[in-house]
Amino acid sequence: MAVVGFDTATADTAVCSTRGGTAMHEERLGLGPDGSPRHSTALLDEVERAAAAIGGWGAVDRIAVGLGPGSFVGIRIAIATARGLAASTGLPMTGVCTLDALGHAAGEAVGPDRACLVVLDARRGEAFAALYSADGSRLWEPFVAAPEELADRVGALPQPPLAVGSGAVRFRDELASRDVEVPGDADPVHRVAARHVCTLAEADDGGDGDRLEPIYLRPPDAQRWRERNDAKTAE
Amino acid sequence: MAGLILALETSCDDTCAAVLDGPRVLANTISSQAAAHAQFGGVVPEVASRHHLELATPVVEAALSEAGATLDDVGSVAVTAGPGLIGALLVGVSTAKAIAAPRRLPLIPVDHLQGHVAANFLDPEPLEPPFLCLLASGGHTLLAAVRGHAGHEVLGQTLDDAAGEAFDKVARLLSLGYPGGPALEKLAREGDPAAFEMPVAMSRDPGLDFSFSGLKTALVYLCRDLGPDGVSERRADLAASFQAAAVGQLVAKLERALKGGGWQAVALGGGVAANGPLRGAVREACERNGAALKLVGLELCTDNAAMIGSAARFAEPIPYPGYLAYDAFATPKRAA
Ligand SMILES: [Zn+2]
Repeated sequence: MAVVGFDTATADTAVCSTRGGTAMHEERLGLGPDGSPRHSTALLDEVERAAAAIGGWGAVDRIAVGLGPGSFVGIRIAIATARGLAASTGLPMTGVCTLDALGHAAGEAVGPDRACLVVLDARRGEAFAALYSADGSRLWEPFVAAPEELADRVGALPQPPLAVGSGAVRFRDELASRDVEVPGDADPVHRVAARHVCTLAEADDGGDGDRLEPIYLRPPDAQRWRERNDAKTAE
Repeated sequence: MAGLILALETSCDDTCAAVLDGPRVLANTISSQAAAHAQFGGVVPEVASRHHLELATPVVEAALSEAGATLDDVGSVAVTAGPGLIGALLVGVSTAKAIAAPRRLPLIPVDHLQGHVAANFLDPEPLEPPFLCLLASGGHTLLAAVRGHAGHEVLGQTLDDAAGEAFDKVARLLSLGYPGGPALEKLAREGDPAAFEMPVAMSRDPGLDFSFSGLKTALVYLCRDLGPDGVSERRADLAASFQAAAVGQLVAKLERALKGGGWQAVALGGGVAANGPLRGAVREACERNGAALKLVGLELCTDNAAMIGSAARFAEPIPYPGYLAYDAFATPKRAA
């Protein structure tokens, strides 16, 4: 199977094409010269390169896309791009949770007998997180939490996990207080590699083309404020 | 049916797609999000962006099917590149680029305001330049000189709120819900437009710019002085007085431009063009100055993708792969 997969839920623009599970073209672009993500300007360019590397769109079997959680804008750029590509080519799509892709990658690096906590910086002082066993299966479903709450949950585990992702770097101190090991800031394990998006999509044979649900995990701020106001009024 | 234009528009709170065969509109699909924003009393950018993502591809598919066409019939993809809500624009631009790229179709980025101008170029009765265009909506208020098909010159624009924004804010003050324009117009019919003296904004300004925030503030103070009971008693008078002042300002500036420019034709566009008193006053101003008035249908006045496709006919297409890195823009940074 040939897959073109990408993820822009984090600061990176991660794109890959795989054939039979082997990466044929992989790219990961960090922030642009202006310090902001290059999702809107670099994603489609890299996707076209990735498709060309496996023989053009006619040779592609599936489009795989990271659904988040992460940057709301980034998630939408990726999903809008996937849906546009699918409408244009008629190819099926598979959505992959961005935390799963990181967990899958970390599982390869961590080795057996150790759980892996994937944490992304959710801004507003919060984190998106999920916990994976060494074989990559989910132990905790993705959730959003303040770092103290996350640390408390981790503290209740029988054994401290390894933590990866931008949020693990950002909340290193909170996690370290619970003996959680966080690899060095520059370790690539903290960043999404799109080949894992492809791999996870390839495993998903029942991919339902039209249902790519973005994983926001958090309502729009306006909704939060309104609910807060309603609650106050009700008191 | 080769060479059709597929157009997308997602700059604010409506998700729109259209299919055009030259100046002929084969489909003009609009999926309004008004209900989603009503609970917040205005457009919330994050809410709008989330809806655009859910609606963009279905709206494109609906427009193609209504046009009896497929992507195989499409020769170019047009999209609103800005100005507007950046998160909302990015959904449309990402979708349009991704539809165009695998098929090696050219992309035609369109300025939203030029789209409003270009609504007048559509069949069945296209208006030929030169003409003067007054655009008033919830997002923009401007007076433009249209001397050709490919662009316009801004003669004047609002220095603060857009006209439609002022209507919505005043409607909220009078507890009329959102969007408030039509409800305000209806209420104003029962009121006396001369009941309250309103500040005549920008009347001494020799230019053609607009300002609506002073008018809105005057209403806030009036409501405060009247108190809740007074406001509910005189709602119709308040609505009528505000509307008369807002329409008066729009028409005064239009008439000043008409007198100064020797224009033969005027086009009125934007969502506020649905306002009856504004239409009437603009018609009278045109008659006084010997200019013809062009009013396109309401579905072409409010934000729509047919107008974007119309503007695209006269814009420069970017051939593949030149647009792969193309980015949306939030504020008008490019000359239209
Ligand atoms: Zn508009």
